[in-house]
Amino acid sequence: MMDFGFYLTPSSTIELDKVDRKAVDDLARADSGFRTCIACGSCTASCTAGVFAETSVRRAILSVLNGRDEKAMDLLSSCMLCGKCMMVCPRGINTRHLILSLQKYYNGK
Amino acid sequence: MAKNIIVIGGGPAGLEASARLDALGYNVFLVEKETRLGGHLARWDRLFPEGVPAAPVLEKLVSGTGNTKVMLESEVLSLSRLGKSFRISLTSGVSVIADAVLMTTGFDLFDASKKEEYGYGIYDHVVTNADIEGYFRTGKDPRIGSPERIGLVHCVGSRDEKAGCRNCSKVCCATAVKQACELKAKFPSATVYCFYMDLRMFGRGYEDLYLKAQKEYGIRFIRGRVSEVSEKIDKTLQVKAEDTLSSTPLKVSLDLLVLMAGMRPSEAGAKVGKMIRLGTGDDGYFNTSDGFTGMQATSVPGLFVAGASTGPKTLPDTLSEARAASALIHEYLRES
Amino acid sequence: MTPFHILQVAPEVIDRVPGAYAHFVLPFCVGIVFCICWLGVGLVRVLANLSSSDRKALLLSLINPKTLWKDIKDIFCDCLLHLKIWQRKPLLGYMHSAIAFGWFLIIILGHLEVWLFAPRHLYLDNGALFYPIFYRYFIWVNPEHTTLRGSLFFFLMDLCLLYILSGIGLAIFKRFRSRLLGMKHTTKPSLMDRVALFSLWGIFPLRLLAESFTADLAGGSFLTLPANALLRFLFGNNLYYLPWWWAYSVCLGLFFVSLPFSRYMHILTEPLLILLRNAGIKVRHPRKGYAEAEIYACSSCGLCIDACPMNVQKKNLRFSSVYFIRFLRRHNEKKINRIADKCLQCGKCLALCPVGVDSPAIRRRQRAAYNDVLPFDYSPLKAPAPQGAVPGKVMYFAGCMSHLTPRIIKAVLEVFREAGEDFVFADENGGLCCGRPLLLAGKDRAAKTVIEANRKMIMESGCSTLVLSCPICLKVFKEEYKLQGIEVLHYTEYMDRLVAQERLTLKKGEGSYVYHDPCELGRGCGIYDAPRRLVGSVGELRKAEKEGDESVCCGGSLGSLTLSYEDRKKITAGALDNLLANHPDRIVTACPLCLKTFSDASSDVPVVDIAELVADSITRT
Repeated sequence: MMDFGFYLTPSSTIELDKVDRKAVDDLARADSGFRTCIACGSCTASCTAGVFAETSVRRAILSVLNGRDEKAMDLLSSCMLCGKCMMVCPRGINTRHLILSLQKYYNGK
Repeated sequence: MAKNIIVIGGGPAGLEASARLDALGYNVFLVEKETRLGGHLARWDRLFPEGVPAAPVLEKLVSGTGNTKVMLESEVLSLSRLGKSFRISLTSGVSVIADAVLMTTGFDLFDASKKEEYGYGIYDHVVTNADIEGYFRTGKDPRIGSPERIGLVHCVGSRDEKAGCRNCSKVCCATAVKQACELKAKFPSATVYCFYMDLRMFGRGYEDLYLKAQKEYGIRFIRGRVSEVSEKIDKTLQVKAEDTLSSTPLKVSLDLLVLMAGMRPSEAGAKVGKMIRLGTGDDGYFNTSDGFTGMQATSVPGLFVAGASTGPKTLPDTLSEARAASALIHEYLRES
Repeated sequence: MTPFHILQVAPEVIDRVPGAYAHFVLPFCVGIVFCICWLGVGLVRVLANLSSSDRKALLLSLINPKTLWKDIKDIFCDCLLHLKIWQRKPLLGYMHSAIAFGWFLIIILGHLEVWLFAPRHLYLDNGALFYPIFYRYFIWVNPEHTTLRGSLFFFLMDLCLLYILSGIGLAIFKRFRSRLLGMKHTTKPSLMDRVALFSLWGIFPLRLLAESFTADLAGGSFLTLPANALLRFLFGNNLYYLPWWWAYSVCLGLFFVSLPFSRYMHILTEPLLILLRNAGIKVRHPRKGYAEAEIYACSSCGLCIDACPMNVQKKNLRFSSVYFIRFLRRHNEKKINRIADKCLQCGKCLALCPVGVDSPAIRRRQRAAYNDVLPFDYSPLKAPAPQGAVPGKVMYFAGCMSHLTPRIIKAVLEVFREAGEDFVFADENGGLCCGRPLLLAGKDRAAKTVIEANRKMIMESGCSTLVLSCPICLKVFKEEYKLQGIEVLHYTEYMDRLVAQERLTLKKGEGSYVYHDPCELGRGCGIYDAPRRLVGSVGELRKAEKEGDESVCCGGSLGSLTLSYEDRKKITAGALDNLLANHPDRIVTACPLCLKTFSDASSDVPVVDIAELVADSITRT
């Protein structure tokens, strides 16, 4: 495609075509919570770190599914693994495991 | 000689089925453990979607039962098969031999104090959907006062693995929107918030109710589940949720928090089910012989089910099932 | 060269075998030399992998009379008498002490006998390696010189042998009927375990046979003399004793050769572990140094299998500590990780381990090996100052989890007010996490940052006492925070003190209660009595089936990284069964996580927190 110079900033559109589907599959295999989240927001609301810094398991999961792994990592960098989100999750997702799996997967990538 | 039928559970399903079977000429025995008929309907003030009063509906159901022998304050002591019939004995000392049994044991309301983080029974101004109905019926509830800020929490004990209930209780969304409107009408200066995960307004007239809530009552709908409630020294409540639509944590001070307690399989019903080896699913509700064409039949010949004992149902659903079960029982008894 | 003055053999015995050597001693000699060399290398490896500060601590502990005395006492009580096993399972304790202590005695007595009657054979060039072991083969008793001390030794040696044989008998019995000795599950022995086990079983019966064959020549007592007479009766005067001495020696040799590759290695490594532990050394690496000493000190007895709360499900048996240690020994990285992550960190296996192998700590090291490198950014985190400085006051830190169980916070605050305490609520509007969950996950660097931030907030407040409602916080505040001058208390301790000081009077009600020991409070911080005193003063305290340091984890623990919610529910159900053994009216606990976990799962019996009980039972004047 010819570049007419319109793309000075990256588009903010979520481009599902460009999502690394293997990464999503790998992560979902490591923790099924990536697939079973119903986005109720309990985790974000109860988050201990969320009082100080933008932290959200729900949005991190969504970011992974939308192919924005850097954003996902950012959203969890202040996490203290306190486990409150695990206690409130209505789907019984082991959020601490999910967070560690995500960090293990993308760390150094 | 007319054949005997026992109906276990005197809620809407039991009442409607008794009325239909009585009209077909059977000897109907209606067993109810409480001191009055009507089940949860008797505790309700108004019904969604239009907000018609519950009392006349119940009255109509009760008056239709005709010659049905109603046995109040009776629990089932034993229920067993005797050839093709059933033998049942009750705590009241009565024993009956019946040709068919209909289980209309309904549901229990989820015990909201089990959701520790919402503080039901701990904080002064946290109530449940049933409490609100009681308040509207009696006009009395010291917990309610004259609130300026009211929050309603959907899915309390429903869609929640931690509360041991994965399924949706079906009626809470509509109940919440109905109660939100009613509370707004009662306290016109109040701001009313509904905290929901998904709004399941599936029935006829439900979406109209939703529209009315937005347009006429100005209810604020927040897509996010409440995760924590704390109480300030002045007894106001601090509620935390995420406004998932703007992806931002949210907190709000409230004077009243209403928990939409969901449905649980009836404990008393489960006991009776065990006596006759009626199977249940993982969710605790009774199994039917078929999910589409056999919703009122069970694996035990002569044993039938109707209403919320086989899963969460709305009142119209329940009454339809009761009528369907009556027709099925009639067919069964005519053949045998 | 042997000094002349001890060349004289005591008059009671005569050297029967010229040169004091026979070929049959060879298998034993090969075995023992191999074993000693192997151990020497292992010892050097462990010491070399310790950090230099740890090595220094070890050295200091060995010259400090206090720790040295503790070393000796612990080695005697744990390695020989096995008092820890005695306390829990007497029959199993007897079995262990019979074999260990009996064997120890027989070695000591054997050497003493040689020292008294044939002292020159205690020199290496005169067979010191094997002579005391096969003493009864090499000598003749002098019928002209029977003495009391000679007979006494014959008697003692037979007595010890009988003592050991009774232990061996129990051991054989246990192998086939472990349930009768109080064990539901036991480990499957590996090939080398079997070799060592069967040779261990063989050693002492063969010794009895060998010594019985020569009892008429070399002396014997109540066991060996009648056996000798019996053998004479069976075989006539032709005593074929040499094969039995060969068999005895081969058995010993086999045992010592297989020892380093078997579970019985613990007999020799446990003393080393005791020395290291008493020197205050902690595990730093999941494989090397202290961990290696622990790995080889594991006796593979399998007591931890029954201890593990995960084992309400049979599929979880493989996550037991004993298998974790086994895989560490075999360097099976994949399995090691899976087991390390699954553990609830409840610490029960450590509490019950007769050797004291801290496998929860090794698992945390293993987690750290992978998780400590994971990123974190706590730069935006600043612990909020609790309304400025509060000198001399009591500070209440509820912790993350307590905010999900408002009834605990409400009750604690009520007790504060009733007692007229001048207090400040540090994290009323949320605070930082205590850091313990990060430590449990192996994110050590991250934990350190959080701990430092919290510590700063607390130290700057100038408070005198810190009261915590979450045992998870309590453990890390006590162990890692180093809050000089500030007393750290769990609210059960604090309330217990209020009652003792009569600042709070409680009235006793009708109900009966069972108290659940939260893992981090009981096994973690050793607090068992204060909560029980509180419960006992408001109602009837009933016992659970297992309690105290044997209490069963509620299943809600943050320790496990991988356990699914479904599996946790099964653990919770098992823990509830344990608590309800004596039909109490209510379950009481003292941890927000236990409270929430149990109240979700308990349908019939209500679950309450001690703080609520206390708040409801205050007599107001």
